[in-house]
Amino acid sequence: MASRTETRTVMNPLDYDYSSFFYSSSDDPFAILEPYNEWYNAAVPEGYYLFAQAMATPPDGRILLTEGKHHERLKLLNLSSYNYLGLSSRAEVIAAAKAALDQYGLGAAGSPILSGTMEVHVQLEEALAKFKKKEAVMVFPTGYSTNVGLISGIMRPGDWIIADQNSHASIVDGAILSKAEVRFFRHNNPADLEKKLQKAHGKKTLVAIEGVYSMDGDVCPLPDLVAVAKKYGARILLDEAHSAFVYGANGRGVAEHFGLEEEVDMHVGTFSKALGGQGGYVAGSRNLYNYLKGFARSRVFSCALSPVVTAGVLTSLGLAQREPQLRAQLWKNVAHIRAKLEENGVDIGQSTSQVIPIMVKNDRRVFELGHKLLRAGLYLQPIIYPAVAKHRSRFRVSISAAHTTEQLDEGVAILVKVLREEGILV
Amino acid sequence: MSTSKEGYVQYHYRDAIGGFFEFPTENAKAILPPELQPIEPHHGSSVLSVMAFDFHNSPVGDYGELILSILVAPRIEHGQPMPRSAFFPFRLGTTTRESREHAIERWHLPHYMKDIGISWVRGDGHITIHSTDSGEPIVDMTVTEHEWSNVEHRYQAFMNDEDGAYTSTIIMAGQFSENEEERGGITIHSQAMTDLLADWDVDVTPFRELWMRNGLQTFHPLQTLASYAKR
Repeated sequence: MASRTETRTVMNPLDYDYSSFFYSSSDDPFAILEPYNEWYNAAVPEGYYLFAQAMATPPDGRILLTEGKHHERLKLLNLSSYNYLGLSSRAEVIAAAKAALDQYGLGAAGSPILSGTMEVHVQLEEALAKFKKKEAVMVFPTGYSTNVGLISGIMRPGDWIIADQNSHASIVDGAILSKAEVRFFRHNNPADLEKKLQKAHGKKTLVAIEGVYSMDGDVCPLPDLVAVAKKYGARILLDEAHSAFVYGANGRGVAEHFGLEEEVDMHVGTFSKALGGQGGYVAGSRNLYNYLKGFARSRVFSCALSPVVTAGVLTSLGLAQREPQLRAQLWKNVAHIRAKLEENGVDIGQSTSQVIPIMVKNDRRVFELGHKLLRAGLYLQPIIYPAVAKHRSRFRVSISAAHTTEQLDEGVAILVKVLREEGILV
Repeated sequence: MSTSKEGYVQYHYRDAIGGFFEFPTENAKAILPPELQPIEPHHGSSVLSVMAFDFHNSPVGDYGELILSILVAPRIEHGQPMPRSAFFPFRLGTTTRESREHAIERWHLPHYMKDIGISWVRGDGHITIHSTDSGEPIVDMTVTEHEWSNVEHRYQAFMNDEDGAYTSTIIMAGQFSENEEERGGITIHSQAMTDLLADWDVDVTPFRELWMRNGLQTFHPLQTLASYAKR
């Protein structure tokens, strides 16, 4: 018979994660801080230092970054930033931002419904509405606040929100704030969406989905999802944070790609990905705009987007429209790196977009690999549970139109070398 | 006999499998003591844990056990070892009367009061249990394997009955595999042991599958609680 198991459990920080510290057992809300920090201080040197390392340059193909373990500044190839069309540091964008700084000053100094709306905000909303072929566009300070304000602005207790299980936190948090009944359907699964819609029993219902999912880089089956949602009379919110200005013949996103722009009720997007700036928007009807003006609290009670950023985004939008070759170059780059990765047997999951997961599927090894990639000159972010399912850890590659073929080849060469050395690739 | 003087009780198992299934939190809250907070992998969704054990060399001999639990927030205290997760078992079925009486008396675990049958089907990379009551199916569940490693995991269980509220730490040591590949499945049949689940809208695919084998389950001494968790 085995001897009694020791009562002491040696704490390996990688046995735990952020989700382990949501609750404590005390009446004092600060009681969780000590056990959390005990874990966090042990977890940082084990790999958590790879998160939030400070960059000293624009998020271009080559960056300078202060590595988090030894605080050493490294020159790296960057395959991590969202700068899909390479507009973040375009000369025209910077010039527009500088001119706005001279004209308006640094900040808006007010809520958009009070004194914070400046002419450049109106120009951006009008230009984007024209581009999206919608009656109106409302700009928010961030992408996160867009979904939070939109969903909590229109949905009420007793209503139903049915969202894809891989929905972004902003959709989830907006749904929570609305106090509506919330259900999640299995990722990209129209049959499960229908099962959940049947449970709504005819209540006011919103279906929330995304164009491209940020962790897997897969595209939603929009025609099937729209058909199911319409069958049950549900309204549709499509978040195109990672697909607007990238997908569709004119860059209007996955809805344009599938020819379903009219069927989607609310088109959400961000300026922080393809346009290289910051902020978010919802495009839809004028009636929706007018209502949200009063009820989208995340916008009403925030300072308006900085006019400096707004002017830069407005210029980025113009460039994205006038230079379709940027999208063409992006897709050429995506095709190139996909072919190289597949040729080397790298597992990229179900991605069909510019967001390409490099599947490691080993939660303990992903930090060690991240460190080796960094030391080999490649900046890639590890993605671990709870951001993705357990044992589906990965690195996330984000491709930009501004990447050169040489940069992409160099990135693949480093990646394949490290994955082979570490036995992830055979 | 595997009971130590200090009150630690050991149960050796050949296989232990588990599946975590989402279901609406409103159903979880209906049976949880108010002091216990259900874990929500998604807002509004709690976790039904279905576990099955194939025990040998226990204080009550060889037996099988089917456990229905809800995942709840563990008690985390500074300076104390951290549990991996915590469970509120709300219905257990065992294959022998002796094991059932032992678990009720010793651990205050709520049982289905008839002997059940559990058959194990071990396949290539997957394992299935079929549980029955007098030949009528209760639960059929399949889990799949991932990479195996030797572990010693700490869990908490919270129990209550008419006499009070209790907790125990449980250490699971042995070979362990878990995955979130969504390859397993469950069929919950309409039956007296599963009557509570009839309207729960439980997902039929586990978002997490666990498989432990050749292991040892050690219950730490039972603690009586003034309330489940001060929070």
